[in-house]
Amino acid sequence: MRGGGWTRIRRMIAKELRQIFRDPRMGRIVFIAPVIQLVIFGYAVNTDIRDTPMFVVDHDRTAESRLLVDALTASGYFRVEARSRDPDAMTRALHRGDVIVGLQIPPGFAGDLASGGASVQVLVDGSNSNTATVAQGNALRIIRDFTTRRLRAGAPVPAGVDLRIRAWFNPDLASRVYNVPGVLGVIVLLMSGLLTAVAVVRERELGTLEQLLVTPMRPAELILGKTLPVAFIASIQIILVTLVAILWFDVPFRGSFLALAVAAVIYIVSGLAFGLLISTVARTLQEALMVMFLFFMPAILLSGFMFPIFTMPEVFQWITYANPIRHFLEIVRPVFLKGYGVGELWPSYLYLLAIAALGFLGARARIGRTGLVS
Amino acid sequence: MSRAIRARELTRRFGDFTAVDAVSFDVAEGEIFGFLGPNGAGKTTTIKMLIGLLAPTSGTAEVAGLDVASHGPELRQRIGYMSQRFSLYLDLTVGENIELFAGLYGVTGDRYDARRSWILGMAGLEDRADRLTAELPLGWKQRLALGCAVLHEPPILFLDEPTSGVDPLARRRFWDLIDELAAAGTTVLVSTHYMEEAEYCHRLALMNRGELIALDAPASLRASVELPLYRVTVAEPARAVAALQGADDVLEAAMFGRTLHVLTEREDEGGIRSALEAEGLEPQSLDRASPSLEDVFVALVRREGGAREG
Amino acid sequence: MSWTRLTAMARKEWIQLRRDPRSMTLAFVLPVLMLLVFGYAITWDVNDLDLVVLDQDRTARSRSLVEAFTASGYFTIVERLETYAAVDAAVGRGNAASVLVIPPRFSEDLASGRTAPVQLLLDGADANSATIAFNYADAIVDRWSRDAILKGRTLQAPLTTELRTWYNPTLESRNMIVPGLIAVIMMTIAAMLTALTIAREWERGTMEQLASTPATKLEILIGKLMPYVAIGLIDVALIVVAGLLVFGVPFRGPVVVFFAQTFLFLVGALGLGMLISAAAKSQFLATQVALITTLLPAMLLSGFLFEIEAMPGVLQGVTYLVPARYYVVVARGIMLKGVGPDVLWIQSVFMIVFAVAGLALAARVFRKEVA
Repeated sequence: MRGGGWTRIRRMIAKELRQIFRDPRMGRIVFIAPVIQLVIFGYAVNTDIRDTPMFVVDHDRTAESRLLVDALTASGYFRVEARSRDPDAMTRALHRGDVIVGLQIPPGFAGDLASGGASVQVLVDGSNSNTATVAQGNALRIIRDFTTRRLRAGAPVPAGVDLRIRAWFNPDLASRVYNVPGVLGVIVLLMSGLLTAVAVVRERELGTLEQLLVTPMRPAELILGKTLPVAFIASIQIILVTLVAILWFDVPFRGSFLALAVAAVIYIVSGLAFGLLISTVARTLQEALMVMFLFFMPAILLSGFMFPIFTMPEVFQWITYANPIRHFLEIVRPVFLKGYGVGELWPSYLYLLAIAALGFLGARARIGRTGLVS
Repeated sequence: MSRAIRARELTRRFGDFTAVDAVSFDVAEGEIFGFLGPNGAGKTTTIKMLIGLLAPTSGTAEVAGLDVASHGPELRQRIGYMSQRFSLYLDLTVGENIELFAGLYGVTGDRYDARRSWILGMAGLEDRADRLTAELPLGWKQRLALGCAVLHEPPILFLDEPTSGVDPLARRRFWDLIDELAAAGTTVLVSTHYMEEAEYCHRLALMNRGELIALDAPASLRASVELPLYRVTVAEPARAVAALQGADDVLEAAMFGRTLHVLTEREDEGGIRSALEAEGLEPQSLDRASPSLEDVFVALVRREGGAREG
Repeated sequence: MSWTRLTAMARKEWIQLRRDPRSMTLAFVLPVLMLLVFGYAITWDVNDLDLVVLDQDRTARSRSLVEAFTASGYFTIVERLETYAAVDAAVGRGNAASVLVIPPRFSEDLASGRTAPVQLLLDGADANSATIAFNYADAIVDRWSRDAILKGRTLQAPLTTELRTWYNPTLESRNMIVPGLIAVIMMTIAAMLTALTIAREWERGTMEQLASTPATKLEILIGKLMPYVAIGLIDVALIVVAGLLVFGVPFRGPVVVFFAQTFLFLVGALGLGMLISAAAKSQFLATQVALITTLLPAMLLSGFLFEIEAMPGVLQGVTYLVPARYYVVVARGIMLKGVGPDVLWIQSVFMIVFAVAGLALAARVFRKEVA
């Protein structure tokens, strides 16, 4: 890349930026879309199970039974969506999906409770197993605490074990602060990978790539010329979405911006490599889009973004090591929430670096062999 | 009804650029009507407005007695269109392309069979019906495109630079087909920038910078240019052109191969000779000639104040 | 609307697709492959939680409590600490998901009838896993407490809760994920298949030729749509069969209703792709818009994983623009709950509205550009 190399790359970058932004709508897509996406998805990625809709069938209708319902709603975990004396109405509501939990209090509940041997029925819609697991756990715990309180109010009973929890880093166990950095990572990789792949494939489809390759430009220069503009765009994107995460969603930022910036740079490079690799496989934009999807959907679902990696079968846990999103999340989440830096997270940095390097080498090798024109 | 196309004050602006400026003309039934002009003269834009692919900024067009703005769908059944760029499906076979357009034009049953074999015969593709269109040479593709455009035997046919990029022999064959269609009563509106093709047209509209600058039969157009034209051959044509362009009496000097076409203001050839002699050049031949369409075009454009492109 | 023109368009689109074996393979293989991979790989069944134990009591009782944790199958002890100071160090290394701390006078407190506090320290960063871990721990401690401490005493019988879980009694997350995945995968595939189809014809110039024929915009759109709807239906059938055979997901509802609703959903999703394509007019822009408007919204705004109920009101409104949202309800409803049109008709109404609006809008945008 001596002599004319840098001139050629500069020309190429200028051409790329002009082409990308020729359509004024692209500017909006590239800079405004990530921000809007983060805002929208930031609100969506909420696994806090609160205000679960509940159907109450209270056959007892005593102060005691009302206290039990109050205990459930006062916790904030449940809200009464409907009441009826007809158990079939509850069944229908569960069937329609109007409520997730049904509570049935039998006649004589208050009396039974005083004499011992009362029981209530809790029905849970298990079709969303995640919500159901948490809602059911909440219900059981609240009812148990209620019982304990009622019994204590009567005669003294032997105390049992009291489990007290303390959550580090996120005392309220709010899921958003954990998921927003995840959304951030996914958006940035998606945008930078796609932009790179499409920029190359489009030239191949239009035949202009051939024209570029007959110039003295070397493949490495071509790659730099293609990827640097995208890297530039992606850097701006990542700054924008990080600001949204911190300022809009109040995600605590406890680490150093340097640690985040270093990770972001390596991550963007791996996204570019990703896009380049796809561009060496796809001949048309249609194919590029399909292949993009083929790679991205697994990359997102197997990143630990929504499903914890430790719950996956071991084979898949190994596969996730090749996933840049996984490593970026393992850096960005602790940097945000725990204030960790390169010192604690260096293995993730190394993995990310290795992926970026291998991706580029792979793309370079394929481009060298096929001359980019398949 | 003997008028196939009627355009009145057709105008199309793109932003502050006027692509077509108040163009009016009529085309008679069975006529081969040509649009001649350089690239960017507004030929394609005019045709697109006539077939309803582009809405005019102002003005009206009537095709086959139908107002283009309000009768799009009916109109399309009565016209055929072949665009400047090859626009059939390259990834379909010859037969599949014919089948597609037959379906779209509602040509079915026996009529479909008849038209299909007519197209294959006309385009010389009888034994290539199963070949992918992408594999055909350009000239054959163009004939197939023409075939698909007239599949439904439309009374009016629009051809936008149908022969660009095609070799002269194939071009010649293509024009024979157009002649046949016209002889059978089809009205043909064709645009071109090949002067020799323009000679085949019954009437010609010369366009430049979005304006219609002349409209007449080719012979009448030639006659309308009264300026004397001389054909000059010299040993060093490039120097001679430079010398003549600077001379007082010379209006225009242009090189056509090794021959120079020179328009002068004087009736005789004296001005040309003296200008050449001043440069020490001796003409090998110097004849008065009748102007070609190209000369006519150049002269008319000059009168209008210069062509848009070089 | 002419049937001849519609079928001519559909045939042409089908032939073009068939000529492109790569896209064809992707269209058929991708959905099933995705389902198999994700069906195996992703789960929310958190049952291998790392537990760090600090037992400061060191009695038979405290050991018995720790055993209750390991015996539950939900927790695996990865480390035993000696001092409280070590807890902070374990947390600092970031490898302690949960720490169980049993204080020194644990068994003494229990024996003397005082409340014996036990502490569970959680890494709250992953709130979802932490909540689940807490619920498990709570249940374990509660049962141990009753069994071991209260045993042998006469006691007023406590209130018993009779818990029944419907539709998915074992609360397997796979049963929830597979139907949801169908929605996410098909929404994305469908939109991607059609997102470029019109833009491509503009770029290649063939649209000009089509536009000069009597075919109306709607005929072009619907004709193009037809082969993809067929592909989509086959895809869904393959996915469902794979889900049933490989993952043993139940299918309790009427098959006909399921496919009728699938048809509505596919038309909507494909129509969305058409709209993108007609509006973008350039393939470059269309790829960006397609990926942005399909993949993440289908995953995050469809109710596949994140409850729509839990979203802010405005965002709940936005989810009505995501056709996968309706289909998640349909797929889960029919497969897991076995409900029929009596419950799902409202989803059908929404999907029909979406499909009609999408296609009408596509035709509108499309017309503007040609005329």
